[in-house]
Amino acid sequence: MHPASINTTRSYNDCVGQWIWERTRPEMVVSMVNCGLHLVIQTSSLPEKNKVEFKLSKDTSSFPGRLLQHDLERNYSSRQGDHVNLVSSSMPSFPILQRSSEEKILYSDRLTLERQKLTVCPIIDGEEHLRLLNFQHNFITRIQNISNLQRLIFLDLYDNQIEEISGLSTLRSLRVLLLGKNRIRKISNLENLKSLDVLDLHGNQITKIENVSHLCDLRVLNLARNLLSHVDNLNGLDSLTELNLRHNQISFVRDVDNLPCLQRLFLSFNNISSFENVSCLADSSSLSDITFDGNPIAQESWYKHTILQNMMQLRQLDMKRVTEEERRMASVVAKKEEEKKRESHKQSLLKEKKRLTINNVARKWDLQQNRVANIPTNQDRKDPDSPSQDPCPVNGSTISAFPEETGPLDSGLISALQGLSVTDTHLVEVDGDTLSLYGSGALESLDRNWSVQTAGMVTTVSFTFIEFDEIVQVLPKLKIKFPNSLHLKFKETNLVTLQQFNALAQLRRIDQLTIDPQGNPVVNFTLWKYYVLFRLSHFSMQKINGTEVTQNDMIMAERLFGILAHVASSELPQYRMISILGDARKKQFQYLLEPKGKKPGIISEENNDSKRLVGENTNRATLNYTTRDFYNEKLEEVKEKKKFCKMYIEDLVKEATEINMKNEALQKLWPQMFIELVRDAVIEIRNKNSYMKLCLQQITDQK
Amino acid sequence: MLSPERLALPDYEYLAQRHVLTYMEDAVCQLLENKEDISQYGIARFFTEYFNSVCQGTHILFREFSFIQATPHNRASFLRAFWRCFRTVGKNGDLLTMKEYHCLLQLLCPDFPLELTQKAARIVLMDDATDCLMSFSDFLFAFQIQFYYSEFLESVAAIYQDLLSGKNPNTVIVPTSSSGQHRQRPALGEASMLEGVEASLFYQCLENLCDRHKYSCPPPALVKEVLSNVQRLTFYGFLVALSKHHGINQALGALPDKGDLMHDPAMDEELERLLVQVPGLVNSVTASSEASCLPSRTPSRVASPWRPLHHSRKVDVESDGSTEETDESET
Repeated sequence: MHPASINTTRSYNDCVGQWIWERTRPEMVVSMVNCGLHLVIQTSSLPEKNKVEFKLSKDTSSFPGRLLQHDLERNYSSRQGDHVNLVSSSMPSFPILQRSSEEKILYSDRLTLERQKLTVCPIIDGEEHLRLLNFQHNFITRIQNISNLQRLIFLDLYDNQIEEISGLSTLRSLRVLLLGKNRIRKISNLENLKSLDVLDLHGNQITKIENVSHLCDLRVLNLARNLLSHVDNLNGLDSLTELNLRHNQISFVRDVDNLPCLQRLFLSFNNISSFENVSCLADSSSLSDITFDGNPIAQESWYKHTILQNMMQLRQLDMKRVTEEERRMASVVAKKEEEKKRESHKQSLLKEKKRLTINNVARKWDLQQNRVANIPTNQDRKDPDSPSQDPCPVNGSTISAFPEETGPLDSGLISALQGLSVTDTHLVEVDGDTLSLYGSGALESLDRNWSVQTAGMVTTVSFTFIEFDEIVQVLPKLKIKFPNSLHLKFKETNLVTLQQFNALAQLRRIDQLTIDPQGNPVVNFTLWKYYVLFRLSHFSMQKINGTEVTQNDMIMAERLFGILAHVASSELPQYRMISILGDARKKQFQYLLEPKGKKPGIISEENNDSKRLVGENTNRATLNYTTRDFYNEKLEEVKEKKKFCKMYIEDLVKEATEINMKNEALQKLWPQMFIELVRDAVIEIRNKNSYMKLCLQQITDQK
Repeated sequence: MLSPERLALPDYEYLAQRHVLTYMEDAVCQLLENKEDISQYGIARFFTEYFNSVCQGTHILFREFSFIQATPHNRASFLRAFWRCFRTVGKNGDLLTMKEYHCLLQLLCPDFPLELTQKAARIVLMDDATDCLMSFSDFLFAFQIQFYYSEFLESVAAIYQDLLSGKNPNTVIVPTSSSGQHRQRPALGEASMLEGVEASLFYQCLENLCDRHKYSCPPPALVKEVLSNVQRLTFYGFLVALSKHHGINQALGALPDKGDLMHDPAMDEELERLLVQVPGLVNSVTASSEASCLPSRTPSRVASPWRPLHHSRKVDVESDGSTEETDESET
């Protein structure tokens, strides 16, 4: 793409040796159009060595100042290619190289043997002053016969068939070693090349980075297109500024923080899937340019802000300048992420707490229900229900992106959980539109001041591990506090009899009823559903236990229990009606008492009015439910009255029978008494004269 | 001269024995319970209504068990109420478990004891106290016997056990000659081969029991009829026979004959009317269901099995105060 040429000046004594080249690899052209390398080696610190200056012809200025590296590929211009004669040497396989003296004078410091179909290195004689040697595009399998070129600075063996690095031990001045596109499996035999500045090993079969720790002057290392699976062993590369690792199979990177000068790191097209695996990058203060494109990690939504958040020093990411805006965004997102994580931690903590509490409540319930024997099995039974049986793996996965926090978080969670140690005997939970109550203690929560919003939102109320009789007592509260509750769920509530359903009739509205068979034996009855439909018909329920209520169900319910309602409403004596229906309802039934003589049909028509009022079919109202305790209490209360009544009646009857008896006795005596009286009277007045005398005497006596 | 005591006692006893006192007590108790409300519409009205409901048998609806079982009339009324209210369940053909029947009973009497229902189920299931399904009529007739005669059956059970173990039922005075003979038999171990007890001996004991039992017993003649058909029988066999005996059912007078058990045209009519009112019901459905019910409505045929029971008559009589004539016939 960018034809480059190298000029070699003859002023090797310049303290500044500079060479620049640029190349592109043909196969990279499409995707990496503006990738080129502008490599500068400045070795002014070591003057005695710096006698070379390679200058790149400036037609590459389309990328001024842009330093980028991928696969080093040198593109020497062969225009000024050496005119060389390769003469077969006396030794069998090595050709001997000879140059004309003219050539020698013209290019005394360099030799290009490009595309010469060489299979071996020729013996180069009389060229000890050579600084640059180019064997590009040959078929050389082994580096040989150059050990005498001890002043060599630049050795290019790009595109050969070399299998092992060797024969370089005498080239102590070598600064640039290009071994790209060969067959090297192992980095080795570089021990003496202490001045090496650029090492290009791209396009080989190297599986690991080794034997480079002594290259303290190395600035550029290219290991692109090799078989590396990870990056480490980077100690000692104190001058390394650019490391190219594109197109390997790297899944994790270590030691990068040991490279004090590293500025550019190319990790494109590898196998990095999480930031955790490259976390050492965050500790490198010098790194300013990095690429991750073509890695799994780059696909993640959190990729960019995670990288930016963790590597504040970065100036370029994936060839693009990092703006302040982006950095700000990243930190915002990271903050959010952090919050989310904390939230999820809290959530899982709550979840676990909930699970433990429920287990505890369940245990209590089982004890209460005398099901002590099978507690362990009960727990087994409960566990699959709970979402996070083992909290650790769950948390591990959710926060995997932040490994450094995994430890404290996990242990924090565990310690928090241990802190719970489950003494709670009940649990109240509002989740969306569902209010869940576990354990009888939870019923007290209905006394709480619920916010209007929450109260309005709750449409489903679920009761678990609570005696139904206890629930009955709070139903009026429920009606007031959660006016919108439409769906009631009962699980483990000891629903045993049909009449218990009567209690639900007092609610404002029920659309759905779910009675879990677990702990509610009533569900085993064939008639329970119909009874519910019948008794709660004023709600026009839509679903029972998740099944849609059909019209046939309604008819069936009426068919089965309609007569019961009829009997209850039309045949119940008035005084019973009054005592069954509480004072509150009495008024509504006042009219029901009056038309007793009328036909029942009329009654039920009139009931429609009250239906609107009470929301309940009046002929069903007498079917109510009082909890067992309350009922017994009432019976106890009545017992006293009964006792009194018994005594009262006894006295009354005794009195009555006594009166009756006296009366009868009187009746028996009376005729005789009457006769006696008459007889006495007759006897008295028999002697008229003496009687008259007597009477007169009495009159005079009175005066 | 008659002493006041001698005159008073028969009256009082009579009233107590005829359960008049029970109803009077209950009436006053009810009055006390709701005195404010009742005083609003008149105490005389209340008493009229109360004793009317006693006559009609509606006074037991939703009452406590102690009251329901207090008098034979209450028991019969309860049986009848149960039949009327849940006849439709039987008509639907559902087979239910003991527990479910118990629930139905509890709908009418909230504190109805499970024990009684269990015992009734045992009669149906011949002592297999498992949770088997029973038909409505089987259960109802068994329940009738168990509920109405529960005290009698308890005594019978005791007698049966005594007989079975070879003891002479101690309270029963049986002619020594015959009892001595029979007593030996089960003791010899024959009972293990022949299940149950000998019918004739059993009857002798029962007859004796009936004579002195103060609770209601089935008519001895009918018991004899039941026992005369077999040589030996078990306790539950006896109960099953009792429950299936329609003469006893008639004598009890609470339920119709088995054949007519599903017929109650007045109530069916009522039900049809109610069905029309089912919210959101499409008319066609009602029409068809009505049509299907029509054949069963043959009002003339079904004579109401509900004869006025003598107890309810007594209640009326009580107000006259002249009780002497009936007194003898009842004791």
